[in-house]
Amino acid sequence: MKKTEFITGSFIALTLVVLLGVFFFQALFQPLYEGKVMPVDNVNLKNRLSLHYVLKNVHNASKYLASHGKSYFNNRELVPSRKITFGESKNFEEGSANEVTSIVVNYRGFDTLGEVTVLFISIIGLTMLIGGVVGKKLRQPSLIVRTGSRFLFPFILLFGIYIFIHGHLTPGGGFPGGAVIASGFLLLLLGLESYKFNTTASKIVESLAGLTFVSIGLVGLFAKNSFLANFIPTGTIGFLYSAGMVALIYIVIGIKVGAELSTGVAELKEGDEND
Amino acid sequence: MISAILFYSTAFVLFLIGLFGVLTRKNIIKILVSLSITETAVNLFLIAVGYIEGAKAPILTKTIGSISINSLKFVDPLPQALVLTAIVIGLGTTALSLTIAIKLYKNYKTLNITKMGGKK
Repeated sequence: MKKTEFITGSFIALTLVVLLGVFFFQALFQPLYEGKVMPVDNVNLKNRLSLHYVLKNVHNASKYLASHGKSYFNNRELVPSRKITFGESKNFEEGSANEVTSIVVNYRGFDTLGEVTVLFISIIGLTMLIGGVVGKKLRQPSLIVRTGSRFLFPFILLFGIYIFIHGHLTPGGGFPGGAVIASGFLLLLLGLESYKFNTTASKIVESLAGLTFVSIGLVGLFAKNSFLANFIPTGTIGFLYSAGMVALIYIVIGIKVGAELSTGVAELKEGDEND
Repeated sequence: MISAILFYSTAFVLFLIGLFGVLTRKNIIKILVSLSITETAVNLFLIAVGYIEGAKAPILTKTIGSISINSLKFVDPLPQALVLTAIVIGLGTTALSLTIAIKLYKNYKTLNITKMGGKK
């Protein structure tokens, strides 16, 4: 009886999923406009809105097109733009070699502030909900695991710090760097029986990092009339001391995310022993 | 060179697998795993929208040298930035929902959603 119910349910679900799949796949080959199929294989960055994000020319482009009375959507290529050379070009609107970082932290910095807030709230919710749940005691780790985790921890920390300091030059940035730092704390929590994670200290670090993020934004508001505007000279593209505010904000985000995720991992492992 | 259609198809298939899992599984952890698969599919789809055949990752390095409006060697960086945000928010929601799953297990002593409720 129960078994047949389950099989019928699965069959209905499978039919629904297959129908949805047919609907998805026919969209790939259906003419969208002027008899053309969805442009999946002949994409050109010149036709994309992100052209000026790549050329670090967003504010200039909108000013130029507004002064010539043209819309942004059809006249993107008319805007004069400079060539960007690694290690030579100076004083662009935004000086980071990593284009994704320049979008995440500079052009869409307010979005990132909201993203960090979402992570903050979810870790607060985790800490509140986990209260009263006491984790099981794990088996005592072997000597190799104990020694190895104590030996590896500083190197993992160093690697995390390297990732977020070089966020504007290499792949990575504040969020992956913070995740690497949290993985180091996870190794300590699993490998050392006696290790106690200091939740209060990590919460203070996290709150201070969040305050620093907002105050950097406020300095931008007073210096350049826009929240989170870049108020530091952007320097030469490709150098460590470049990109102005981007490097600063990614360091703050790295510390904040590292503290947050470590708190979450520690709470999940230990639970709240006060209850 | 890999066609973008491959990425779109993989994203669709992953999405459908995740949807099937959410519809049929009864274990709450398995439902959360299926939701994560769906999330990955959506992220892959967004990245595929920015894919350009033969283009490089959008990071200026010494080997790439220089870019200008006539030699754009990068894939679209905007979807990648959006997906970075989506991944972090997905992490937050997954952590919160796993915590709720732990609480449910402590309360009902089962992870099966059809057996939850009723008894306290």
